[in-house]
Amino acid sequence: MKSKLLATVAALLLAATASASSAERVKFEMWHGLTGDLGGVVDQVCKRFNDSQADYEIICTSQGSYDNALQNAIAAYRAKKNPTIVQIFDAGTLDLLLSEAYVPARKLMADNGYKINWEDYIPAISNYYANSKGELNSFPFNSSTAMMYWNKDAFAKIGKTEAPKTWEETFDSLKALKSAGYECPMAWNYDTWPIMEQFSAINNIPVATKGNGYQGLDAEFAVNKGKYVDIIKTLKKGYDDGLVKIKTPDTGATIVQAFANGDCQVMLSSIADHGTVGKTQKPDMQWDVAILPTLAGVERHNSLVGGASLWALQGKSDAEYKGAAAFFNFIAQPESALFWSTNTGYIPVTKSGFEFMKSQGFYDKAPYKGRELAIASLNASPVNENTRGIRLGGFVQIRKEMRDALTDIFANKVSVDDGLNSAVERSNAVLRKFEKTYAGKMLP
Amino acid sequence: MIERTPLLNLATYAVMFIGALVVFVPLWLVFVGATLTVREINTPELHYITGSHLFENLQAAWARGNLGGRLLNSLIMSLGVATGKVVMSALTAFGLVYFRFPGRMLAFWLIFITLMLPLEVRIVPTYAVAANALWPFQSMLDVSGLTGLIQMLSGIQIGLEWNLLNSYTGLVLPLIATATGTFLYRQFFLTVPDELLEAARMDGAGPFRFLVEFLMPLSRTNMAALFTIMFLYAWNQYLWPLLATPDRAGFGTTAVVELKLLAPTVSTNGGGTPDWNVAMAGCLIVMLPPLLLVAFMQRYFVRGLIATEK
Amino acid sequence: MEKRATFSMGWLGFAFILPQILLVFTFFYWPTGAAMYWAFTLERPWGGGNEWVGFDNFRQIFADRAYWGSIIRSLMFAASTAILSMAFGLLLAVACDRGLKGYQAFRTIFVWPYAVVAPAAALAFRFIFAPEAGIFASLVKAYPEFWNPAQNGYHAMAMIIICYSWKYAAYCFIFFLAALQAIPRSVIEASALDGAGVLRRVFDIQLPLITPTFFFMLVISITDSFQDSFGIVDVMTDGGPGKATELLVYKIYFDGFRGLDYSGAAAQSIVLMLIMMVLTFFQFRYIERRVHYS
Repeated sequence: MKSKLLATVAALLLAATASASSAERVKFEMWHGLTGDLGGVVDQVCKRFNDSQADYEIICTSQGSYDNALQNAIAAYRAKKNPTIVQIFDAGTLDLLLSEAYVPARKLMADNGYKINWEDYIPAISNYYANSKGELNSFPFNSSTAMMYWNKDAFAKIGKTEAPKTWEETFDSLKALKSAGYECPMAWNYDTWPIMEQFSAINNIPVATKGNGYQGLDAEFAVNKGKYVDIIKTLKKGYDDGLVKIKTPDTGATIVQAFANGDCQVMLSSIADHGTVGKTQKPDMQWDVAILPTLAGVERHNSLVGGASLWALQGKSDAEYKGAAAFFNFIAQPESALFWSTNTGYIPVTKSGFEFMKSQGFYDKAPYKGRELAIASLNASPVNENTRGIRLGGFVQIRKEMRDALTDIFANKVSVDDGLNSAVERSNAVLRKFEKTYAGKMLP
Repeated sequence: MIERTPLLNLATYAVMFIGALVVFVPLWLVFVGATLTVREINTPELHYITGSHLFENLQAAWARGNLGGRLLNSLIMSLGVATGKVVMSALTAFGLVYFRFPGRMLAFWLIFITLMLPLEVRIVPTYAVAANALWPFQSMLDVSGLTGLIQMLSGIQIGLEWNLLNSYTGLVLPLIATATGTFLYRQFFLTVPDELLEAARMDGAGPFRFLVEFLMPLSRTNMAALFTIMFLYAWNQYLWPLLATPDRAGFGTTAVVELKLLAPTVSTNGGGTPDWNVAMAGCLIVMLPPLLLVAFMQRYFVRGLIATEK
Repeated sequence: MEKRATFSMGWLGFAFILPQILLVFTFFYWPTGAAMYWAFTLERPWGGGNEWVGFDNFRQIFADRAYWGSIIRSLMFAASTAILSMAFGLLLAVACDRGLKGYQAFRTIFVWPYAVVAPAAALAFRFIFAPEAGIFASLVKAYPEFWNPAQNGYHAMAMIIICYSWKYAAYCFIFFLAALQAIPRSVIEASALDGAGVLRRVFDIQLPLITPTFFFMLVISITDSFQDSFGIVDVMTDGGPGKATELLVYKIYFDGFRGLDYSGAAAQSIVLMLIMMVLTFFQFRYIERRVHYS
């Protein structure tokens, strides 16, 4: 007979915010990385869940940023103080996937008696978060994809009423905009997401061997050849010719801001910024979003999902997992999708959610019109090896290497080829170390 | 000493004026920034004349950063660190200087080495300790086999646990665990003439009375200086409070952490305009308490440093 | 350096230092020990097994050009901030030390930057130096290449050096003024009677007499710059553009904490610790000698 004595010298309890009536409800925590307006909407989602039933109470806490949510969740997990649910951004997926720290979404739902129609998820979204058998490990939550934002007024001046469809056409338009007297035809911020990751999927080129890493940890990063070099060279030339301007918070304005106040006429950014642009735009400015351009003569493929997903972590009680499953089920409902997408720029993640929103006339009205193009972008083709996602370890470091290289390239410190070569070499070192760290582990 | 050096005096004043200007200009620009609207502050030109939106911005920063509670947290944490440090350092330095015992030099070096590794680089394992401050002791019991032995003998399984996350204790203790103050005190005690102890002994004073009635009054300025330094050090902390206070809704976090969240960064997702005006207003609020403290303590502070540095 | 007069109850002395020893053991040595263990293994961020790899992590960081780059940048940062802040602090201290009418007001002002919290100062300077919204905005409009810390690494480095020095000069000022005022008035008066002018006294008497403080500040400011630069880099540049402002502590933080390479970061921590040990040892020897002589 084992008796366990907890010698608690001094226990400091979390300040429980529960009201008396909800005392018997099972409480569980969710940590997320959204702040500001978006964080407020997450709080509302949590409140809606709490109001919708009487058995569970979710306590949602913003950790300030995606990075912090990941770091704090890891630190907490190591100390066995982790929340039941945590929101992890795309680049943090693989470390978690290879650990024993999570409860696969599919298992969680099955164990708790929920029947989820997994086929209902938009394939470009579900494949990013699924294992090799196509089963979801985490729940897509705030999903987005990259779009081209373009200023209709400016394009009207150069006689265009539609956004460019190819990169070649894009640069022709930028040139025309420049000639028409626009100082900043396109804003860019060194972000690799639209021009490397999305670019690869849309044009059906791998970013790494082994099916972008899906087939094994020994994948090699490969963005220093062919079309990647071309697009960076084009972009650099555009920059040298004054067609592309760098806009980062360090220069005093983000790309979103530069676009919204009419300074820059084109930007590539997440569909999640759709609401922000609408809210902060210069009065009466006419603008729209369009699907990202392809290379001329290339058949368009689906773009990649961005954003973050919700993971259930190990080490919690059955009752808490029941609550977590109920919450996942709740956010998967079409009504929740409508609420979420109305209040943020994020897109619905299921086909039924999208259909429901269409049937409600969501996409017909002014502030939301155009967002359906994000779904069109994700659904542009059946998902294949190059377009289902990217499964590379240490991806935060790899993104930084790429970003650093691009910064150096644009500052004329290195040539495009040298910059990309050294970034790829360094990224491969990160990958090899990752492979060694997880030696003997198989991708689930 | 009266010397007639009008030119040199003019030059001296010029130096001091320029110095004051260098100090003032950034602070002034922050203040101006805090009085503008988002649109004004984002127009590409130099703003050196105040606008009329100071109170709006202060309110926005206050509300968005929930600064009321955060400032209180910062204050309690900083007072805790400063007080804890002053007391702990005095005791340790006293023990090290006025006593002879085996292992004294070892203890001295053990404490000394803590100066060499900032908290930032050992932050993850420190978090694990904060989550259970008794983990090191539990591990030692486990490894030494004592856990098993006790369990065998008494049937009790030892599970030590002391969670410091989301508590002032957790914010304060890791920041006190360095040697900074100890060395200030040690140096000071070493300069105290041996005659003082002799005199105290004649007075019939034991160690406690000697410390409290003789040494403490002498080191009042040291104490004030150390207190101020440690208060500023604690108030400045960013990474540790960010990590050690995951319960944002309940316990909250510190003002400086919140200030960083007000600032626009590359990694802030979901767009949004960089509203520097609100960030600057937040700066003003967060800067104020340490400035007041230094203004108030300056007399002791400067004199204390004179004493400690010698 | 030892005291001759001590108390005889050794155990009591031990009791006095016990709280600090316990604290240091729990919150310094234990975590540091864990980090050291990681430096010789490949630690998985989410836990679950690791493998002993000996000195592999060290070999890897020393073979990495970026790591050497960050060491060199840290040294550059340390040297520039030390020179700037000490020169400025010393100049103001000498000016104040003349005791001209109204110097107290200036003294108060000069101490202020020390009291401004680092992230707030960094935020303020970032705003001030933003090429499109700050102090240089109008200049940048006319000459775009004139100031661009978002793209030009040297500009970004200059920006963090200026911000750090602005704050640290106040600290230097306090120490230098203290040292100057500790010089007995009689020494200066004697020299004045000999006919030495003000400037002459500064260079021949006051500055030589405070050389010890000068060296002390030099070492302190170098070790401080390693440790205290983190907040400023994190708020102002995130280590960029490129890797232009990636200093040692920031790199450790990024690699380990954000990049999830715990082992690589731990190895870097140990190297940092060794560097700090050398510097601190030097400083310690130095302080001890001063105490001895005073």
